[in-house]
Amino acid sequence: MKNFLHGFIAAIVILPVGALGYFCMGFADAQSDVAPSVLESRMMGAAVHAAVARSATKLVAPIADDDVLVKGGKVYVEGCQGCHGELGKPFGEDHSHYPRVPQFPYTGTQYTEPQIYWVVKHGIRMTAMSAYGRFYSEEQLWSIAAFLHRIRTLPPGVAERILTKSADAGASH
Amino acid sequence: MKRFVAGFLTGVLGLVLVALVCLRFGFADVRADATIPAWLARWLNVSAHASVLRQASSLPAFVPATDANVIAGGRLYLSDCVGCHGEPGKPPSDFGATFYPPAPQLALEGTRYSEQQVFWIAKHGVRRTGMSAQTDSYSDEQLHLLAAFIARMPRVPSNILTEIRQEPVSAAPAAEPKK
Repeated sequence: MKNFLHGFIAAIVILPVGALGYFCMGFADAQSDVAPSVLESRMMGAAVHAAVARSATKLVAPIADDDVLVKGGKVYVEGCQGCHGELGKPFGEDHSHYPRVPQFPYTGTQYTEPQIYWVVKHGIRMTAMSAYGRFYSEEQLWSIAAFLHRIRTLPPGVAERILTKSADAGASH
Repeated sequence: MKRFVAGFLTGVLGLVLVALVCLRFGFADVRADATIPAWLARWLNVSAHASVLRQASSLPAFVPATDANVIAGGRLYLSDCVGCHGEPGKPPSDFGATFYPPAPQLALEGTRYSEQQVFWIAKHGVRRTGMSAQTDSYSDEQLHLLAAFIARMPRVPSNILTEIRQEPVSAAPAAEPKK
């Protein structure tokens, strides 16, 4: 029993020290121009989803009509589509961020409205998703969430309204 | 000895299981708008630095540090990097601070990476940060110019800074071809 305990303790000490050494000696690749492995993507994707679901349980999304969707869509066009994929343009894969940035116009999202609101507001650690709570009002954040949640199933006419209006408003972009 | 090995394996399995359960059930804090603890920031820095050092050691020589090259690099920096990494002579970037880990404020702090390493980072990006690979947007030559400028921050002579700002950024000869 004593030997078993020694082995157990050795593992608990050696594993973290080994991991630390592995990273500190530069064995972990740094470059972001290769895709993460399927295993890593799936594992970390599930971890992020679980953490966001846990954090956003108490939030309730306000009811969104077409005007809110248009508003959210315009914010998306202004501030999000540079990384997340242009609305109404052909699919372009992200191959410069690690982990890869989801291309919402083509993939949609499995996150609910409150979860999207939470992610945009707080960002995701250790990814290129920064926290936008300082830059957008609550109303804007909820409108982005409403829009993104329905990005693949927008009511007729909404996408057109988003694109035509932002064409003149976004001239400086 | 057999018992020791059994204990060791149990320990390894236990640690891995605990980590997986924590991840799977959402116990990992994912908010990017919290302040990063100093020990974590330092450790991430050390491991990224070591990894870049390992991979960027055999790169070709950089461009000559003529004023013209530094100015061309500075214009690239002003057109595309300041949003996250800060502009010379200005307060640190608010946007860069909203990443986790935050974007280094090159204009204020400079960098401890060598010119070749800066080139390598700009070209290939850094995993699990906001730093994306720029290889699609810029040629190697442009990235070398950019590295020549970044390696000289935060103490870029003021006459060079003035010249960088003088011409509109789009007129910079090196900034044109966006493949």
